[in-house]
Amino acid sequence: MHSAIVQTPKQIVKRDGTLVPFDYFKIRQAIAKANATVPSETLSDDELDRLTAEVVASLDANSQPGVEDIQDVVELVLMENGISQTAKAYILYRSEHAKMRERKSALMETFKRLSFTDASSTDIKRENANIDGNTSMGMMLKYGSEASKAFIDHYVLPEDMAKAHAEGDIHIHDKDFYLLTETCCQIDLQKLFENGFSTGHGFLREPQSIESYAALACIALQANQNEMHGGQSIPNFENVMAEGVHKTCHKHIKDVIEEHQLLSGDKQLLPEMVEHLLTFNYDDLVEALRKIDLGDVDSKDWPEALLKLVRRRVERSTYQAMQSLIHNLNTMHSRAGAQVPFTSINYGTGTSHAARLVMRQVLQATEDGLGDGETAIFPVQIFKVKDGINSQEGDPNYDLFQQAVRVSAKRLFPNFSFLDAPFNLQYYREGDDNTEVAYMGCRTRVMANIYDPNQEVTKGRGNLSFSSINLPRLGIEARGSIDKFFALLDKKMDLVFRQLRHRFEIQKRKTVLNYPFLMGQGIWIDSDTLDKHEEVERVLRHGTLSVGFIGLAETLVALTGKHHGECAESQALGLKIVQHMRERCDMRAQEEHLNYTLLATPAEGLSGRFVKIDRERYGMMKNITDHEYYTNSFHIPVYYKISAHAKIDFEAPYHAFTNAGHITYIELDGDPSLNLSAFEEIILYMKNAGIGYGSINHPLDRDPKCGYSGVIGTVCPRCGRKESPREPFERIRRITGYLVGALDRFNDAKKAEVAERVKHA
Amino acid sequence: MLDYWERRERLFRKSPEKEKQEEIRPDQQIRLASMIEESIVDGPGMRFVLFTQGCPHRCPGCHNPQTHALNGGTMVSFERVLERYDRQPHVRGITFSGGEPFLQAGLLAKVAEAVHQRGGDVVVYTGYQLERLQELAKGNAGILALLGETDLLIDGRFVQEKRCLEAPFVGSSNQRLLALSLLGNLLLNDIPVLPNGPAIERVTYC
Repeated sequence: MHSAIVQTPKQIVKRDGTLVPFDYFKIRQAIAKANATVPSETLSDDELDRLTAEVVASLDANSQPGVEDIQDVVELVLMENGISQTAKAYILYRSEHAKMRERKSALMETFKRLSFTDASSTDIKRENANIDGNTSMGMMLKYGSEASKAFIDHYVLPEDMAKAHAEGDIHIHDKDFYLLTETCCQIDLQKLFENGFSTGHGFLREPQSIESYAALACIALQANQNEMHGGQSIPNFENVMAEGVHKTCHKHIKDVIEEHQLLSGDKQLLPEMVEHLLTFNYDDLVEALRKIDLGDVDSKDWPEALLKLVRRRVERSTYQAMQSLIHNLNTMHSRAGAQVPFTSINYGTGTSHAARLVMRQVLQATEDGLGDGETAIFPVQIFKVKDGINSQEGDPNYDLFQQAVRVSAKRLFPNFSFLDAPFNLQYYREGDDNTEVAYMGCRTRVMANIYDPNQEVTKGRGNLSFSSINLPRLGIEARGSIDKFFALLDKKMDLVFRQLRHRFEIQKRKTVLNYPFLMGQGIWIDSDTLDKHEEVERVLRHGTLSVGFIGLAETLVALTGKHHGECAESQALGLKIVQHMRERCDMRAQEEHLNYTLLATPAEGLSGRFVKIDRERYGMMKNITDHEYYTNSFHIPVYYKISAHAKIDFEAPYHAFTNAGHITYIELDGDPSLNLSAFEEIILYMKNAGIGYGSINHPLDRDPKCGYSGVIGTVCPRCGRKESPREPFERIRRITGYLVGALDRFNDAKKAEVAERVKHA
Repeated sequence: MLDYWERRERLFRKSPEKEKQEEIRPDQQIRLASMIEESIVDGPGMRFVLFTQGCPHRCPGCHNPQTHALNGGTMVSFERVLERYDRQPHVRGITFSGGEPFLQAGLLAKVAEAVHQRGGDVVVYTGYQLERLQELAKGNAGILALLGETDLLIDGRFVQEKRCLEAPFVGSSNQRLLALSLLGNLLLNDIPVLPNGPAIERVTYC
């Protein structure tokens, strides 16, 4: 030893808080170890001693330094002595070990965070805006989910995939369900109801009235939700419910005739008339009344008052059924009570009187709102717009389209899907609702079927899983080279394809027993042909595996300096990128005979995660990493001022490429229910521009005290009351396709995104 | 709604007895507070809006007090306004608000005429009452011309005590919705009467 007497601390504090005697040689050994990895900078024993002594001398002899403190000093001493390579190795070694320790304790740390912080202060409790992370069942779900994720990361996922997810190259959605189930399904209720069904806890007879149709629809959605991790949808709502209307009509006719015969004395209906009336369904009833109105039949021959009474009763029953459906879907729970099922219903094209009544009443019930007139969050409603059926004056359902516009202007739902967009129209066959493309709330779309081209249909099919690519990172890494960008993109897509396939290999091994409802009751397409113990592979292949992407706008800024709303070249490049991704998906689908599709990712929970990691990695980059979120899929950034029509024009062409789903939003300033013609103009403009699925956002605020609803700042314009923490205003906003009752369940990135949205008109 | 353009095509005609005006040079300037390319709160449909600068009424509680000063705002040429309007081919029409548009009636009438030629309709806000404007028009060709080009006039001062939030497109319940042409009737048709809102006087054109 060179230096004479060095005073050393007596003890040091280990990471777990225990005290151990100070050991000079451990420091020397650590330096030697780091040095051994750097052949160009070999230190002699003397030098090692000198450096170690210097470290020890820098420590306060009267203190109890921690391990980290000592390591800090080692780093400093190495650097001060110009032994930079060794210093670098030492720092690397330190951080590797830190990471290893982190991994070991990460799960328990997560549990700690979950247990001892409020949902308002931790983002992981608010990943999903419809799950209440404060309730015990919500927590139980979170524990399970976090443990599952940790298990999947360390024991299931191949290393490169786990790493790509952890580092934010890609995002494996619903990773906690990796070993369990699929995303979503479009439920064929007609098939399910026929002859009744079982939820696993009891058998339900075939429903016999519109009320039971509505109630059983909710039960089916709920039962299926418990077996899948994504949304549940009814693709042909009005046509299913119409059957219930007919049954209810029949009942009411029977009742009314019975009452009539009892009370009418000698004016009884003739038996032939009774017999004839009993064959009526609702459509016959309405037709009969119409003929009476037109004078085509002699009203003396028909019990007009009686028929009108039946019609009134059917209308009322249907309204009540629709109202309770909406109430149920907003109050019933799935997943151990922590979450309302994610439900969607599609309607718009049914032209029978019964189907039209269903739509009129479900829209009316939606407009009327829940108990206190609040806006219902579920189901997501999607109105299918179709030329010749409902898009213009003279079409049989144009009145319903106008009603849908009115309701949407007030309640944010329904959204609008467009069956005339070429990529949707190609499947459409008139009169067959199974060929009408339907959307699920989060924007999912399932139609093409490479596995079985004879079954390019909606019913019984859904998405199996999806993973998204962090596009902006590829844009940044390409450093302005478009070629490099495409090379990186191809690599990343290959990784995602492999990962989706890896997940599919797990999914397909399940048997019917794993899905007592989804497969056991024949909800999933062809699942009724499976043997109970048979693996589900051959029916699962009807589903889709989707590659998603986020942040096209930021990607373009990274590559060209401007996003696609700002400059035509960027738009051309954006289209080239997305088209390329679609082509890769199509090719892969051909190769593997599996439905690989391209998704404009709904980025709940993800929009903030990628940007956070990238900001740490690349620093603040203007309009790339300097917002709290990456822009959804191909959207023009929400902070960018652009007219509604221009936004639609820019986004429409991307809809054609994203066959796994897409949506375009327009933000309106002001209360559109006062200007329905503007609302209608925008919707029809979307249709003509080739949008597949679109919706209009507008502020939906309500003062619960005076009941005013409309746009409210901090002061209610009607009663002049200021918002206070005790009595806040209700503010409903849309987040990745779902309405959320209050901003406090938005995660931080989404909150920032909502705050930055500029209005397009 | 969809056959709207057809309907308006048939209905719209220029009033033949329109006063001859002095020729307006395209570089003449309008004093504007602001210009909005798409608005849903200044009349039916999606609308292009000119907020003119300068107002003699100065109603207490006015929503746009910054538009009162007669010398404020920016000068924008007639040509430039139309150029901006033409970049929004999807709007249903134009709205003049303010400010008091009738202070610059002559030039705005020219803008309105051009908008009509392009198939758009014209909504005008004013703090005057129609009757007063008709009187003023006797000695002012510009006012007469703008009245001739107006399809829907929303008239009357803003009265704070009669402020209403629920009625579309008016600030206070004394203001009226007046159709001054058949096209104005179509505009009026598209303004909903809310069941719980205040009664707003509406006059159709016949």
